[in-house]
Amino acid sequence: MSPPYIDVEGLKASYDGSRLVLDGVDMAVEENEFVAVLGPSGCGKSTMLQVLSGLLRPVAGRATIAGKDMTGSSSDRPRVGYVFQDHRLLPWRTVASNIELVLEAAGLPRREWDARIDRYLDILQIGQFRDAWPMRLSGGQRQRVSIARALAIDPAVVLMDEPFSTLDEVTARTMRQQLVELWQESSRTIVFVTHSIREAIFLADRVAILTRGPARVLEDVEVPIGRPRRYEDAEITELESAIVDRVMGVWGYEEGTPA
Amino acid sequence: MSSASASAAGFHLDVGWHRRALAFVTAVALGVVGWQIATWISDGWIPGVGEIVDATGEALVAADTWDQILITSKRILIAFVASTAIGVAIGMAAGLNRKAEAFFRPLIVIALATPDPLYVIIAILVLGTEESSGVIALTLALIPFVVTIVHSSVKARESQLDEMSAVYRLGRRRYLSRVLARQVTPALFAAARTSFAFAWKIVVLVEAISQPRGIGSEIYEQFRLLNAAEMIALALIFIVLMRLVDAVVFGGLERRLMAWSR
Repeated sequence: MSPPYIDVEGLKASYDGSRLVLDGVDMAVEENEFVAVLGPSGCGKSTMLQVLSGLLRPVAGRATIAGKDMTGSSSDRPRVGYVFQDHRLLPWRTVASNIELVLEAAGLPRREWDARIDRYLDILQIGQFRDAWPMRLSGGQRQRVSIARALAIDPAVVLMDEPFSTLDEVTARTMRQQLVELWQESSRTIVFVTHSIREAIFLADRVAILTRGPARVLEDVEVPIGRPRRYEDAEITELESAIVDRVMGVWGYEEGTPA
Repeated sequence: MSSASASAAGFHLDVGWHRRALAFVTAVALGVVGWQIATWISDGWIPGVGEIVDATGEALVAADTWDQILITSKRILIAFVASTAIGVAIGMAAGLNRKAEAFFRPLIVIALATPDPLYVIIAILVLGTEESSGVIALTLALIPFVVTIVHSSVKARESQLDEMSAVYRLGRRRYLSRVLARQVTPALFAAARTSFAFAWKIVVLVEAISQPRGIGSEIYEQFRLLNAAEMIALALIFIVLMRLVDAVVFGGLERRLMAWSR
């Protein structure tokens, strides 16, 4: 049996070398799968993405993507697209040249740049802002550019760290819908971190629920709901309630901890 | 925001060129009036506005004035380019690397506290009254200002953009030129403008102490001969020229590079 596309085993991570943020995370994601990582605020969800993207070296355990170790500094690590909580665009570069910068760094041929940029900006319905300065765009439009940037480099995996959490509800819903369509169209492997149970269920094939920090995987939940889904579907509400019941004791207020 | 404060903010934003011109003319007029009053109460030790205008006119048509300005401008240009280049390199290194920061910080603190004439004296003691000693003294006096501005700006950079650069593997060269340098562009301009402003102030001192030619030595010579009007006329011409260079060269470049922020 071949190993999973993303294979995380016994992952332990720490920022200061003493206090663990991840404490033995195990997770497997298949190619083209959409997996949501669900956990309470501050549990270490983003840290896991940082390790997977090579930003943070773990203190123990391993993380591979397509069989390549992501925890070292090897140059043959597969490319990763990353959508942060905030857009992280360079405000002094136009939308197109922000994407050009990562295309250049990824070593993609210059002759393909325009077509790639146009394609993803059009899919995300922001083609008209190709030459605009990022700071002239709305929060939702900037986040769309950030998604286009992540996809344009042909990444092995797209990591998304609560990308819609700072948007208003209507914009966030539209973007969730578009993200699902984009994923179905482009067949990418997506790991989506969120603390919203409903968002996780709406988007993902599978939800990995983490404990409070230092995080471990509490449970792996398949989402047995067909697509297309509606955000208000009764099935989503039902599964949301079931997950809430399961995590309440683990995530909830603990005596002696600050509220 | 309350309507009152909003309108106050609007007032600041909407000040047109004619209002700015009016404010400028008013300030100059008040300065001229204040100067003339000082002339009257100084029993003639301070030259009157009329005398200064006459001396300025004469200096402007004298070929020697422009020779002196050329000599001084050359020194400023060399010292400005050298101090900005060295200062930006040290400031960036100190902002990005803790070891470099630990090494340069005490040196910069001492350099900032060192009086400018001391640089000139040390340069003369080491190199004699050569042309190079003045330029080197000027460069050494400017470097700490540039380092301080660039260092603090690099330290205050957005670490989130560092993460983005690392995730997309921009590499060191692309990161420095496309992310960090552009992020600290406002500080680089502040450093360049500070370096330039101090350059033309300190060069006068350097020339007065160590050089036989240049605007500084000429001002000192006029002071020695008690030709106050000529001394002030030379200073005025030089001040206006340097302000013009600052506004046209730095102002124009800054407007172009910072177009995205407007």
